[in-house]
Order: sequence, then structure tokens, then C-alpha cells
Amino acid sequence: MKIQINGRWYKAFEGEMVLDVLRREKIDVPALCAHEAVEPFGSCRLCMVEITHENWGGWKGNVTSCLYPVEDKLRVTTHTPKINELRKMILNLLLARCPNAPEIQKLAEEYGVTITDFVPRPDADDCILCGLCTRVCAEMGFYAISIVGRGYGREVGTPLNEAPPDCTGCLACVNICPTHCIKYEDVGNVRKIWDREFELVPCKRCGKTIITREFADRLIKDKNLPEDYFDLCDDCKRDDIAKNMSKLVIWQDKKEEVKR
Amino acid sequence: MKIDSPQKLKEWRDRCLKKKAAAKNTIVVCFGPGCLASGCREVYAKFAEILEERKLKDITLKSVKKTGCHGLCEKGPLVVIEPEGIFYTRVKPAHVKDIIENTIINGEVIDKLLYKDPKTDKRIEKYHDIDFYKKQTRIALRNLGHIDPDDIEDYIAAGGYSAVVKVLTSLTPEEVIEEVSISGLRGRGGGGFPAGKKWATCRKVDADTHYVICNGDEGDPGAFMDRSIMEGDPHAVLEGMIICAYAVGARDAYIYVREEYPLAVQHLYKAIEDAMECGLLGENIMGTDFSLDIHVSRGGGAFVCGESSALMKSVAGDVGEPRAKYIHSVVKGLWDQPTVLNNVETFANVPEIINKGGEWFKSIGIETSTGTKAFSLVGKVENTGLIEVPMGITLREIIFDIGGGIKDGHKFKAVQTGGPSGGCLPETYLDESVDFDSLTKAGSMMGSGGMIVMDDRTCMVDVARYFLKFLVDESCGKDVPCREGLYQLHSLAVKVTEGKATEDDLALMEKLSEFIVIGSLCGLGKSGPNPFLSTVRYFRDEYLAHIRDKKCPGGVCRELITYEINDKCTGCLACIKPCPVDAISGEKKKIHVIDQALCTKCGACYAICQFDAIDIK
Amino acid sequence: MKVDVDVNEVKEIIGRSPQKPSFLIAILQDIQRHFHFLPPEAIKETASALGVPLSKVYSVATFYNAFSLEPRGEHTCRICMGTACHIRGASMALEQAEKQLGIKAGETTPDLKFTLEVVNCVGACAMAPVVIIDDKYYGNVRVDKIKRYLEGA
Repeated sequence: MKIQINGRWYKAFEGEMVLDVLRREKIDVPALCAHEAVEPFGSCRLCMVEITHENWGGWKGNVTSCLYPVEDKLRVTTHTPKINELRKMILNLLLARCPNAPEIQKLAEEYGVTITDFVPRPDADDCILCGLCTRVCAEMGFYAISIVGRGYGREVGTPLNEAPPDCTGCLACVNICPTHCIKYEDVGNVRKIWDREFELVPCKRCGKTIITREFADRLIKDKNLPEDYFDLCDDCKRDDIAKNMSKLVIWQDKKEEVKR
Repeated sequence: MKIDSPQKLKEWRDRCLKKKAAAKNTIVVCFGPGCLASGCREVYAKFAEILEERKLKDITLKSVKKTGCHGLCEKGPLVVIEPEGIFYTRVKPAHVKDIIENTIINGEVIDKLLYKDPKTDKRIEKYHDIDFYKKQTRIALRNLGHIDPDDIEDYIAAGGYSAVVKVLTSLTPEEVIEEVSISGLRGRGGGGFPAGKKWATCRKVDADTHYVICNGDEGDPGAFMDRSIMEGDPHAVLEGMIICAYAVGARDAYIYVREEYPLAVQHLYKAIEDAMECGLLGENIMGTDFSLDIHVSRGGGAFVCGESSALMKSVAGDVGEPRAKYIHSVVKGLWDQPTVLNNVETFANVPEIINKGGEWFKSIGIETSTGTKAFSLVGKVENTGLIEVPMGITLREIIFDIGGGIKDGHKFKAVQTGGPSGGCLPETYLDESVDFDSLTKAGSMMGSGGMIVMDDRTCMVDVARYFLKFLVDESCGKDVPCREGLYQLHSLAVKVTEGKATEDDLALMEKLSEFIVIGSLCGLGKSGPNPFLSTVRYFRDEYLAHIRDKKCPGGVCRELITYEINDKCTGCLACIKPCPVDAISGEKKKIHVIDQALCTKCGACYAICQFDAIDIK
Repeated sequence: MKVDVDVNEVKEIIGRSPQKPSFLIAILQDIQRHFHFLPPEAIKETASALGVPLSKVYSVATFYNAFSLEPRGEHTCRICMGTACHIRGASMALEQAEKQLGIKAGETTPDLKFTLEVVNCVGACAMAPVVIIDDKYYGNVRVDKIKRYLEGA
């Protein structure tokens, strides 16, 4: 099917969301709480777009593109004055929530907000409650962290406020966080995150640390990997493959030579 | 007894009616929410005690019936002697003996227990003659105050389950939907969506499982219509749900009851148990092919769970976070199956629509809002209580005729409808028609039926602040405009009530409101700014008084008022002890003085003064 | 505040309902009703019995008003903050109760005697403002009477 975005027609596939098309066609629309690794959530509202359709009798609506399924001949406008004002207000509010987060400051400035009109949150961390970390943790199958509480005071937290027993130190939450506010520490062969300590598995050849013991064990079990899968780091594995490939080339050459 | 055919039901009904006719008098003791709070249990216990003692021939404890909300909660505990309709108010256990002796045995009416009309000062004997009741049309509330909710025979005698018979034996699902569509029934939970259309869309969805859910979450503070129906006439809800399930093709249905209503859960469980025992629910209802199980699902305590998608998550045992409804829940709802979700009151109307026809329902009310609506009429009126009126009635008739006007000689200021999602309407709207579209156009909404009347001693800025605080507490917190926006809007409203706001702040509040409405994910956020928007629209001068003059015209906002004793003071010493901070000093027969440095503006002295000697400035 | 909890009691309560995720809220309510709060042991047991992740049970326990993770008092004093009660002065009643008990709404006194809560509309609007202490309803409450009602508990 085809949908129209800002006047041009693009290909779209059944089951996709409008944001998927926007991302694929590299049309710039901000979306802090959406990520291809997880299901959309609809928290930040920055990806709002205006939609209409020739069959709708002139009716226009504003929807979050991350959650709106594509339909044939849908017409999308990504930047209208109202939507820009909305994005500005959202960033204004986020700046009050997280006044020290560089990523928010930068995005806010793009939309003309340098200082928030509201009272900044005291002792603020950089968490915008987008839920990406908790969603990716669920996607990984660990469900170690979740959103705790309700309303303005809700937070990303651990069960019973204790070190989460289900965390494996995989760092998916760290990597997906748009404001980089989840902290971890790798010292020697110990990883510290969420108040837990994990043993880091070193590469048997070069000694570089690859992965935590817990995460490795879990992957080996869940994905039926061989027991020695994490004995070598990716670089050393590549070296081995390269060596074997070159051995094969040499052997092929020798075969050719013998033939001749 | 197993009802496995419509014939058996008819025979049972005839037996129940005969039993009723044989009884001489029925003494109704109202067990509605208001009367429960004002002591009806003790009144009932006294009846039990005395009747046990006296061992009279015609009257036993069986003649005393506990019913659901009779309606005039302000004057409870209520005792009604049927079939005459003699209406006793503010009944205390000490009055019971006289009621039995004088009224039941000797047929004399006890004057001092009768209702006194505030306009004529005359006592009225029968409730049918009181304006509060005269002007109502009770359809959804038809059985409240007349039947014992725990006795299925009472419901059967009142015609209960005859609509189910009609549907299961003579109508196809499509015909049922047609009848409901003809009636024009719009959702009574506040959304006002046409019920017939909803049912039709759900039925059309091609899926193995369809669900029906009854929304008993009633989160609006000040609303207790649904509670009264669930507690006072649970079978009406079940009957409506059975008819809907048949129309839509559901095998399982759920009633979601908010956590704060344990009595409603109790009565519903009893009704379900009794209906199952009789074969009116469960496998092969009344011997037909149609089977339905109804389950009660209890909320955990969250206003946001009144929203349909959040409610469905809660039924599934999850946190009540709403989702974007670009795909409606009639298509993908509970556990991603097509689901019809309707309000308690909506379902309570359905059996009557089937029995009397969609055309009959359509003939009541107005064309775009047919039928009636139940309201909890509360606040500064003479007659607070539970009412049901035809759509199209005016606010003036409700507040001044049924409600009996403003209490204590004060002036009407505003009426709030629609709960935290609604708005406040001023005097100029008193002759406005009460219907879905008129109220929305005026900047409020019908909502679930809470109607709060406010007088000149109310501060409209404080009202906005109150509702905003409620919404901030209840927001699930998922999306930014609602979570952050309403929080900031509330902070600014507090600033106004404290006299610290500027006109720039007011402009910021208006701008912020616009984008909370556009940007929010669900109805809670989208309609969240309404309390502010409607009060600033109609009472802008009050906002400006707080901002420019640092004054609170309603005499409510503590930072901006002072309590002062004037020269009407007789020196009676009555206000000195009640003061929690000992701020009042004075001798007998000498004018008292309030120490402003200590005064916390709690209002205790104002409440107790008999001489109008305390001014709020 | 640490309270000792018998895990077998917890297991018994959980066992009364079907062991399905959709019964999570109902089971937590049963536990709350029995212990007057949700002990950590109960949250862990429920998670394992229902096969629901521990973090999810904790999220549900902290989302809904009905649940308390701290032990609640012997007596509960509830102040209705519904709209009708609000316009008839409920906030002053709340202030007085907070003063008398020395705690804020939602908290429990250190001696575990009283928990102070606010509720949103109990349907007794005709008697606003309403204060409920344990099961007893007090209507048309006057600020100065609150001390007496609390002492009477």
C-alpha cells in the first residue's frame, strides 16, 4: 500500500506503524520513547503527526505515529504549527522534569525552548519515564526492573526496592536509555549495576571481558548454545574464522597446483 | 428451584405476586448509601427487636424490607409504609416503637416524622406528593427503594427476567441490537456513545471469543448512582448483561467493581449465585441453547481504571495504564478479543427497552438524547439525593424544583457536572437543557451523573484546584502532557489560591491546558483541564480577584481571607473552646476577639456561632 | 516497621484463588485484608505461585490505592474528600485530624494505633463532610469534634 507523507507518496506494509515508515524513509520526527527493539508505548507524544484521508470528508486528527497503523492512502503531515507548538510544550515540560539532561536540553533548543516556563524538579535525575529500559528488560525475558508507583511520583525501580534478583547485567537498559541515565561500572572482572555485582567472563585467549556469567548462562540455556560459546570474544572468534578461511584458500590453491 | 422454561418463570412470577398481594403492609427501611451512613442499620435492628417481642399477627420481621436507595438521602434514615407510601424522614431507633404502634397498628400518621416542604412549610404525608419525587421518571432506578436486592423473588415479582425470556425465545441477536438502536440509548457512563452501534460493531468482528464488561468503577467523587443500582437492584444489571451477551455472542461477562464498593460486590455475588441456582444464568439459560457466566472483577483502587482500556488491563490483573485507542476495544479489547464495555446504568435500562420497546424509550427525553438519566444531586441544595429525570429537563427544574433550592438562604453560584472531566456552569445556564450535547457545548459534560450544586460561599478557583489535585493523584503517569502537564497546571492553580500568581501565570495555564487536551493519551488527560477551563471561562473575574487584588470573593482561600468577629457578638463564649489553636479570647457578655496571628482559618467558630457575628473577609 | 509474617498463612490465602495471572489483584486484596498490608514475603510468594514476574507484582502493588506496603494501624480514620464534602469543609477536617494524630494522610502513627487516609466519595454526600473511623460514620463533622471522635476509637 501507499501512504502520503508531507506531500510525497511512500510504500507502506500491512501491520506497520506510521513511525516505521518515517524511520525507514529517514523523515525526521522526534520520538524519545520509541525504539525498534520494543513495542511502542506512547509516552512522550513527540512523534505526533496530523493525519487525514480522502474518504474522511475533510476530517483531520492528531495521532502518535508510533502507535497508528498504516492504512492505504493515508495522508500524513509531520510538522504543522499546532504540532510544533505541542512538541515545544512537551519539551518545556520535560525540561522542568529533567533540567540537567543534555539530550533534552539539545532537543528542546531545536524547538526554541532554552529555559523551562515551569518550576524545575528539585534534585532531578535524568529519567524521562519513557519506559524503554523496562520494556527492553521484559523483551529480553528478564523482567528485572519495572515502573513502580503511579502518576507524577512514579519511577523506574526494582522489586521491593532491593537489588533485582532477575537482573543478569546484560546492559540492554543502559544502551537503550535516551538520556543515558542508567549507570553501571565495570572494574576488573566485576560489573556493578542496579546494586548487584556480576562476574565478568574474560576471553580465554586475549583476556578481554565479554559478558557476565549470568547473562552467558542464560543465553546458553535459552538459545541452546554450545557450552563453550562464550569462551572466546568476537574478535578472537573472527581471527579463528579468518585463519580457517585462509587455510582453506591455501588448500584450494594447493589442490589446483596438484591438478596442474 | 430450576427455571428450565419460560413457562416455569411465569408460574413463579404469579406465585410471587400472590404472596405480595396477601401481605397487609410492607415497611421499607432504606439501606441506600446515604441511609447506611446515617444509621439505618440501628433502625432496622430496632424493628427486629420490637417485632420479635410483640409477636403481632399481621406484621412480622418479614414485613420489614431492606431496600436500595429510595432517593431522598438528605432526609435519611428513611422509612416508607407501603402500599400507601407514607414517608418518614430522619427516623431514629427511638421512633420505631411509635411507628409500629401508631401507624402500623392504629393507622395514624406521625406528623413530626413527615417531610416538610421548604417552600410551603407544610408537612407532606406521602412521598408521591413531594416535588422531589413527583418530577422524576425512574427507569434505571425503577426498583430502588421497592425491592429487597438480595431476594430474587422480589425481582421476579417486579417483572424481572421477562426481557430475557422475550429475547431468548422470540428475537434474534440482530433484532435485539435493532431494538436497542431504535431506542437511541447512549452510554450512561459519560461517553454517550450509541449502545446499539457499539453492540453491532462488536458482533460483526470475526473472532472466537467476544466479551461483555459492565463498568462499575464509578470513580467520580460525588457520584453514587451506579453504587446504588449495584447494591439496590443487582439483577437488573445482570439481566441487561445477559441480553447484551446474547446480542454480541459472548460466553463470559465481567462486572468490574471498584475496590471502594465492597457492599456492591456482596449484593452482586448473591444475585449471581441465586440466578445460577435458578437456571437464569450459567449453562443453558432457561433451558435454551444460550449459556453465559458472569464474573465479578474487583478493582484495586484507581480512578483511571474507569477508562475502558485501563479497566481491561485491570481485569487481566495488570496495572491500569490506558492505551492509545486507534484500534477500538470493541475490535480488540479484553485479552485482545472484541469486547462491549457499558456502564451499570446503561445495562439497567436494557430490560425495560426490550419489554416496552425502543420506540417507548425514544418517546422520553429529546431526539438526540433519549430516555432518562440518573443523577446524584448533592452539594448546597435542600434535597440532596439520588434522582432520575427525562433528558431535556432544565437545570433550574432539577436544582430548584426537585432539589428544593439552595440551602440556608444562600444564592446559587454554579453547578458542576461530569466529575473531574466536566465543568462548572453558572446562573446563565440554569435554563439549559440537560442532555449530552448541550452540556458539552457549554463547556461541561454529562459524565456519569454527579451533579454538585455550589453557592456563593464557594470559590471557583479552589474548585478547579481541587479537581486538578484529584487528577494529579489519579493520573497513571504514562504520558508527558497528562503527568507533567496536569502537575504543573495544579501547581499554578495553587499559586493563584495563595495570591502569588501573576497574569502571565494565568496565560501560561491557558496555553498549557490547550496542549494537555491535544497531547494526552486518554480521556483523563484530555479532559483534565476542563475544571480549570470552564471556571476561567465563566468566572474569570474570580481568578483576576485572586491575582490582581489578592482577594478570594468566595471566602475560601485561606491565605486571602480573615475571620473577624463583628459587633453582633453577644459574648456567649461558645466559639472559644472549639478553636483548635485557642485564638479567640473574650469574657462573658463582652465582644470576643480573634488573634489573627494564631488563626488558621479552620472555620470552627463560624460553624458554631448562632448570631452571625463572625465575618469572613 | 518490621512485622513477622507466617509464610504458610500467605500460601493458604494465595491458594484460595485460581493460580492465574488475572487473579493477581484479587489475591493481593485478600492478603491486604488479612495482614492489613502487603508483606514482602507475600509479594514474593504470589509472584512464584502465579508465574508472574516479581517486578510486575511489585508494580501492581504500588499502582493501586488499596495496597499498602507498610503495616497499617489498628484503627483507620478515613476522611472523605469527595466533591460534596470538599465544598462543605473536608480539608479543614483533614487538617485537624493530621494535627491530632501527628501524621499526614496516608501515614500510620509510630505506635501502630492509627492510620489516616483520604477517600474519594463514599456516597454519603447528604451528610458531608464525612469522617469514618473504623466502621463508624460521622456526618456533618465539625472541626472541633474530631479530637473526640478519635479518642472514642
